[in-house]
Amino acid sequence: MNRSIRQLLSITLVLLLTGTPIFAQRGGGARTSVNRSGSVNRNVNVNSNRNVNVNVHHDVDVHHSYYYGGCCYHNTAAVVATTAIVTAAVIGTRVYALPPACSVVIVNGLTYQQCGSSWYQPQFVGTTTTYVVVAAPR
Amino acid sequence: MSRRLFCSVVVLSFSLSLAAQSSPAPKRADIDPGAMATLNKMGAYLRSLKAFEVKSVQTTDDVLDNGQTIQSDAVVDLLAVRPNRLRVEIKGDDKHRLFFYDGKSFTVFAQLVNYYATVPAPPTIGELVDKLDEKYAIDMPLVDLFMWGTPQSSAEKEITSAIDVGPSAVEGTSCEQYAFHQEGLDWQIWIQQGDYPLPRKLILTTLTDDARPRHSQVLTWNLAPSFNDAAFTFDPPQGAEKIAIAEVTASASNDKK
Repeated sequence: MNRSIRQLLSITLVLLLTGTPIFAQRGGGARTSVNRSGSVNRNVNVNSNRNVNVNVHHDVDVHHSYYYGGCCYHNTAAVVATTAIVTAAVIGTRVYALPPACSVVIVNGLTYQQCGSSWYQPQFVGTTTTYVVVAAPR
Repeated sequence: MSRRLFCSVVVLSFSLSLAAQSSPAPKRADIDPGAMATLNKMGAYLRSLKAFEVKSVQTTDDVLDNGQTIQSDAVVDLLAVRPNRLRVEIKGDDKHRLFFYDGKSFTVFAQLVNYYATVPAPPTIGELVDKLDEKYAIDMPLVDLFMWGTPQSSAEKEITSAIDVGPSAVEGTSCEQYAFHQEGLDWQIWIQQGDYPLPRKLILTTLTDDARPRHSQVLTWNLAPSFNDAAFTFDPPQGAEKIAIAEVTASASNDKK
């Protein structure tokens, strides 16, 4: 789990330091997500220096919209990203959408999503739901 | 004494030259004292409110790599009771979240996926806002409402230009429109005229991006909200699953489930 936090931190750092659209590598052809994560300078409040954080979150948010399932643009991005993720499924990786056909499994009171042979543990990052690839809990 | 004076002169001229190098130096002449006074009056008034409910219809621009802006919409409904009750609903294009704060714990609930996370919370809304930002990377929407005129607020120090634009109506309410400039940010605020100096509209324009993305809020106020304590405490619905929330700091004790 520390590993995933470190990963989150490094993602955050990369965004803070360079504004690099990191999802470019991850999502492959997911143009929409790549583009939207470019919004590094967006102020949504006047009084405090929270601007950078706001942006980091929003980059992530876009990927989360998979559960709407319906329309167009967000959905495409999620599907493309997912494809890349299924291939990877490296333990400790944090993803923003699950691959298809997962089922909820509770092990020792903790919620997991089992997707084929991969196990994911849901976790909030800010207000965004993410899934961390974990070793099979049983 | 004279040496001290010399030092101060050196320091002063050094800082002046620094200020001259970075961005146009603020000229106090650009600041309308009336605009600043109204801003402060609004801040003091907001801080005097014991309970309020405010609905914000807001838009936010994202910038694509090619410089094109894409607007997204959200509606935020925030109920606050000072010093330690807060309930927030955020309905956006791509997410729906509820926040609950009862002075002891804070819960974020993602309704569509039926996940929630609860963490211990500090005793006041102000401390909560800071903790959520620093520890969990959660941004409280409409955080400005709690910040105007507080020591944590950076706006007043950073404003380099303040203009009273003149009267303007927001959804039929008479307001006075003001425009402010600070480094990297232009913003306009519409403050209700009369005895209730409430912010009714806010537009932020980010200047550090060539696309100049905007964020806007139109606020509707209820200064006599009805509520009970249950409004601020999360009662998990059927099937809701408790999950962890990532902390921003990396330390071994962090991720206990």
